[in-house]
Amino acid sequence: MMFSRGELKIVYGWTIGLLVIAVVSYAALPSTSPDRPIRIAFQTVAGKVIFDHHRHLIESGYGLSCGECHHTLSPDEYSQAGSCTECHQLEEGDEDVPKRSDALHQQCIGCHREYGGGPTECAQCHVMQ
Amino acid sequence: MVDKTKLVVSFAPFWHNGNRVTDRSLQIILAALPAALFGVYRFGFSALSVLALAVSSAVLWELAFTRVAKRPVSVGDGTAAVIGLLFGMMLPANLPWWAVITGTFLAIVVARQIYGGIGANPFNPAAVAVAILMLAWKNRMDFDTALVNYVFDFSAAFPLAAAKALGANAVKDLSLADLFWGRQAGGIGTICGAGLLAGGVYLVLRGIIRWEIPVSFLLGVAATAAIFHAADPVRFAPPAFHILTGFTLFGAFFLATEDSSSPVNFIPMLIYGAVIGSIAVLIRNIGVFAEGLVFAVMVGNLIQPLLDKIRPKALGKVA
Repeated sequence: MMFSRGELKIVYGWTIGLLVIAVVSYAALPSTSPDRPIRIAFQTVAGKVIFDHHRHLIESGYGLSCGECHHTLSPDEYSQAGSCTECHQLEEGDEDVPKRSDALHQQCIGCHREYGGGPTECAQCHVMQ
Repeated sequence: MVDKTKLVVSFAPFWHNGNRVTDRSLQIILAALPAALFGVYRFGFSALSVLALAVSSAVLWELAFTRVAKRPVSVGDGTAAVIGLLFGMMLPANLPWWAVITGTFLAIVVARQIYGGIGANPFNPAAVAVAILMLAWKNRMDFDTALVNYVFDFSAAFPLAAAKALGANAVKDLSLADLFWGRQAGGIGTICGAGLLAGGVYLVLRGIIRWEIPVSFLLGVAATAAIFHAADPVRFAPPAFHILTGFTLFGAFFLATEDSSSPVNFIPMLIYGAVIGSIAVLIRNIGVFAEGLVFAVMVGNLIQPLLDKIRPKALGKVA
């Protein structure tokens, strides 16, 4: 035996203590996303895109209001903003409803061009892995 | 002529010099604590829960395995706790509990106890566990994707991923001092260069780890990164960036120096460190992973038995 009985007790004590801390803090901190996302990771066929939602929202960032991007929603609906098809009845060949990728490309690149800032080239957002 | 007085050994009884495995474990934990606690400060309670679960579940897996295998209880030496802590320090702060306990199972049972326990593992157990998790749950272990719900007052992009995807220009504005003081995204205990360096130097001074491995490791990283940077400064980041980001300092002082999977002779230690350092940069610059240092450590572990063949000739043995 490379250790004393006292040392074994100390290890047991710390293990139990840390296990309690782990269980309590995992239980207390549910892993759900906040109502207003900080960053959003889009997994696309052209790699991963990280969108910094928080920076577009805050005053020290770009100070956008929700409605500037989430077009027709009322303020209390923003937190429930899900996919396009929750509102739009998507039918084959429906030209009024753009694909999600087209909508996002139009939204991001259009705004960045209009205000002369932010990425407009593919590889500036899409991280291929 | 050999100095024969060096070979004279006195008769028993001998006096143990006091080095004990438990003390070594305690010293390593103390050395790792500054960087680990900085991670808790940076990422909050979620980081504490990951670290606490990693340490406690590592000890419990070892206890469970020794019970099942009818081996003597070994958790009192603290090595299982060390592996749990080092494993936890490489994880993103919000890794789910089931991934943490799967990881400690892989580290303790698969990478260590199956080979015979302390001193018998051919690969660094914490590195093996992180490597398998990286392959199994890619997005959970991807710092950019995993840390989306944390607000930082610095760039939230994992620096190595940014450098790999967008080239050296994307990271040229990152201040080296910021990286050194932990203002970067990454694993819980791997972001604070200052804490890791302090802990590493402490371990070297206490004689727990040998200086040859971390020094040659860092030189390997620097030399390889310098060659790439000189060849294409637009695409490849400079050496200082590679040393202060990702798992580099953590790997140099805490992973590569693990007792049973690293060499013991002078020249083998130098080669071992340099090989791991250069393979780590090769993986970052032209490999698949933005940070594949754990794989580089495993390659080093793999060649370690061969490297230790480079040793002084046995005295008195006829060739």
